[in-house]
Amino acid sequence: MSATIRVEDIGKRKGEVLSPIGVEDLEPLPPPYDKIEEQPVWKELSDDVKGRTVWTLDGISALSLPQPTNEAEEKEYVDKFLAGLKKLLESENNWTFLQPLTLSLEYCVRCQTCNDACPTFTESGGKDIYRPTYRSEVWRRLVNKYVKPGGKIFSKFSDGDIDLNWTTISRLYELCYRCTMCRRCAQSCPIGVDNGLITHELRKLFSQELGWAPRELHEKGTVQHLQVGSSTGMNTEVVKDNIEFIDEDMQDVTGMDATTPWDEQDADMLLIHNAGEILAWPENPGAFAIILNAAGVKWTLASDEVAYDGVNYGLFYDDIQLARIALKHTATAKKLNVNKIVMGECGHQHKAMMTISDRILTGDMVVHKESAMTLLEEIVFSGKIKFDPSKNDFPVTMHDPCNIVRNLGIVEPQRRILRYLCPQFREMTPHGIDNYCCGGGSGFAVMSPNNFADWRISLGGRKKFRQILDAFADQPGPEVKKYVCAPCSNCKGQIRDTLNYYGALEKSGITYGGLVELIVNAMVDVKQPFIEWEMH
Amino acid sequence: MPGSLLVVIAYILLAVFLVVFVYRTYSIAKLPVHLRWELAPIPHEKGKSHYGGSYFEEFEWWTKPREKSLVNEATYMFQEILFLKSLWEHNRKLWWFSFPFHFGMYVLIAAGGLLVIGTVLSLLGVTDSALAGLGVVVGPVAAVGFVLGGIGAIGLLFKRMTDARLKAFTTPMGLFNLVLLLAVFATGIYSFLALDGFADNVSEFVGAVFTANTALATSGVLATHLVLALVFMAYLPFTQMMHFMAKYFTYHQVRWNDTPLQVGGKMEQEVQKLLQQPMTWSAPHINADGKKNWVDIATAEVGK
Ligand code: HEM
Ligand code: SF4
Ligand code: SF4
Repeated sequence: MSATIRVEDIGKRKGEVLSPIGVEDLEPLPPPYDKIEEQPVWKELSDDVKGRTVWTLDGISALSLPQPTNEAEEKEYVDKFLAGLKKLLESENNWTFLQPLTLSLEYCVRCQTCNDACPTFTESGGKDIYRPTYRSEVWRRLVNKYVKPGGKIFSKFSDGDIDLNWTTISRLYELCYRCTMCRRCAQSCPIGVDNGLITHELRKLFSQELGWAPRELHEKGTVQHLQVGSSTGMNTEVVKDNIEFIDEDMQDVTGMDATTPWDEQDADMLLIHNAGEILAWPENPGAFAIILNAAGVKWTLASDEVAYDGVNYGLFYDDIQLARIALKHTATAKKLNVNKIVMGECGHQHKAMMTISDRILTGDMVVHKESAMTLLEEIVFSGKIKFDPSKNDFPVTMHDPCNIVRNLGIVEPQRRILRYLCPQFREMTPHGIDNYCCGGGSGFAVMSPNNFADWRISLGGRKKFRQILDAFADQPGPEVKKYVCAPCSNCKGQIRDTLNYYGALEKSGITYGGLVELIVNAMVDVKQPFIEWEMH
Repeated sequence: MPGSLLVVIAYILLAVFLVVFVYRTYSIAKLPVHLRWELAPIPHEKGKSHYGGSYFEEFEWWTKPREKSLVNEATYMFQEILFLKSLWEHNRKLWWFSFPFHFGMYVLIAAGGLLVIGTVLSLLGVTDSALAGLGVVVGPVAAVGFVLGGIGAIGLLFKRMTDARLKAFTTPMGLFNLVLLLAVFATGIYSFLALDGFADNVSEFVGAVFTANTALATSGVLATHLVLALVFMAYLPFTQMMHFMAKYFTYHQVRWNDTPLQVGGKMEQEVQKLLQQPMTWSAPHINADGKKNWVDIATAEVGK
């Protein structure tokens, strides 16, 4: 094992890579993926990128943070960081998470119980910087030394030393994007300290004070969402055109009614998809339309800007952007006077709407919100649609999206559907609330700049890939087609990238998709198989 | 040590303990309501907690009555506190020392409690044979506590100095805390062995504290033990050793707090006040000026 990287090292050895990582460091995968020489080679950073951006944490540049040109600029950022560090602990600036954050700041007993719960740390071959506690301890030491009264004197004794400088903050910024905020570590902590929350809060500090955030989540994400209407860049017309095309296509393929109602006043439910589905997985919104129509539900999509895209990347890095988007979603539901908003197959949409924004939407902004998982369970077991489970007679396993399962406790509805409709359904180990993140959590699924894709797939998604292979270990060959059901857009994106990265469809016959696709595939009235055994 | 000094020291240290303990707990409790950040499993979810399910699993959950099981919550906490269950499940190597360490302290807290009750009762003139019996058991019970705590503390110190993973995150204060407690345990067991009637001696001291009796005569060994124990108590609330208090909040107020906002409820009123606070985050996209409050900033039409 490489030498221990200590907490205080983060601010030292300016310009050097603190803890280099490569595929050879990672825990080996089972065959036929066990030969490093057969795995994709990690992308080398170009000299240009190396010269311009920060990559000194682990040799990866996830954020393309520009290198300052002089010390004055460095100092300016360090000062701002310090200001943000204080604001995180003030009620007027951070009442939203102040209590949980204060508890996580002051009461960690440094027992390291959380370490083994973290898929990033364990799959990395035990690299210190990926411990759930490393990032948290850096922050804790910074607060205790630079924010608490008398900190410069006492913190060496109470916490250990640390230096606040450009090297520290630029590496810490990258380090905030090596954690998927899956909160598996928090579940194992005997005190209830939450390292995932600390990642969340540090990302907020960088975004809300320094204006630093990944381009994919901010400019191309929330900013584009608020300006154009969707983080995909689709405006109202484009989205309506696309859905119309999907409806027709689905109708042709299945012979079922796949018409999508738009802006129906007083509908029972406003369905909001992650708009990424419409572009990357059109069969998902198509399948929803088929199911809802077949069940006779009074539903609608909304064509208001923002409201046709359930994405809310604010959840991952910025409370203000989160609130702005949540307000738009709510305003449309109120305007249409629907009974409830239903979350499509998107995990972070569930969390952003059903819990995180619950308490900021007061008075006449309160709207009922429900998960597609419970709605689909209600429909599948209502007897309104006829099913033939033998149509799904192939091995199926399920990935539990952290935001739906660990965070919201929606565990069984989707399983009851699969147990009923998929004769060869089998669980991953572990699963349910103990699941592992797909590796695409907290926005990673849409981030691939520089050499970050190699990191997030090879390391971030490693545990999940291992779990998928294990779940199908009884029929490992490509001749048996197998299906990973991932009822979440971001998870699907990450799982797609992982399976493609290793050529898992060709080598192991594994593909993936959502939950509604399996439901439609099992419908008696759908004449042709709905699931296509290809990568998309 | 003169008894008068010992009693005065006790007053000061106990006062520090009480004031800081209450202050620190209060300062956590009075922090504003936060956004929901629950984490499965939530034991109060009736019929669902064994697999980590929540009320969100119900179709149109807002139309169903919320069924909470406080018994499940209490059972969960009891196992956590008494047996350090999550440590057992996720970090067994540490549990073998941490459990005796903590259990030893619980035994001592229990012994101390009994002793105080017994002393107070006898000061009030109650002379019961049960009370006399209490005096007899408290000593050995405390001795068990000292031994368990001592073994645990030595083990934890050893772990923290040898295990690479723990070592990198162990602070000087963490080691000091363990050494201080070890000193409390060691002087405790020594007093127990060295003195005739350890419990009676401590009871005398407790009585002196209650009656402000400065004529108390305490042996040097016991005085050392008592002062160390009192110093530990006064020091405790300044440190992260208050984690048992924090655990109440991290579980009940954060992980298990899944209360939805109710229109017209107390939480709504509090949130509405919080939203009126001006914010000062300075990134350009926030567009804060120190006067605009949360509502102004979140509802502003941005970048069109
Ligand atoms: C509520 C239940 C509690 C839990 C789950 C808990 C858990 C832990 C854990 C995991 C550790 C770190 C591992 C170790 O060093 O042993 C620890 C350390 C410690 N705990 Fe607790 N604890 C609890 C209650 C208490 C109580 C009531 C006290 C007594 C005042 C206490 C005092 C300590 C001390 C002195 C240490 C080690 C010193 C240090 O690291 O600073 N704990 N506890
Ligand atoms: S976060 Fe929790 S589990 Fe991890 S070191 Fe701190 S107290 Fe231990
Ligand atoms: S939240 Fe998940 S990824 Fe982040 S440190 Fe914890 S276990 Fe690891």
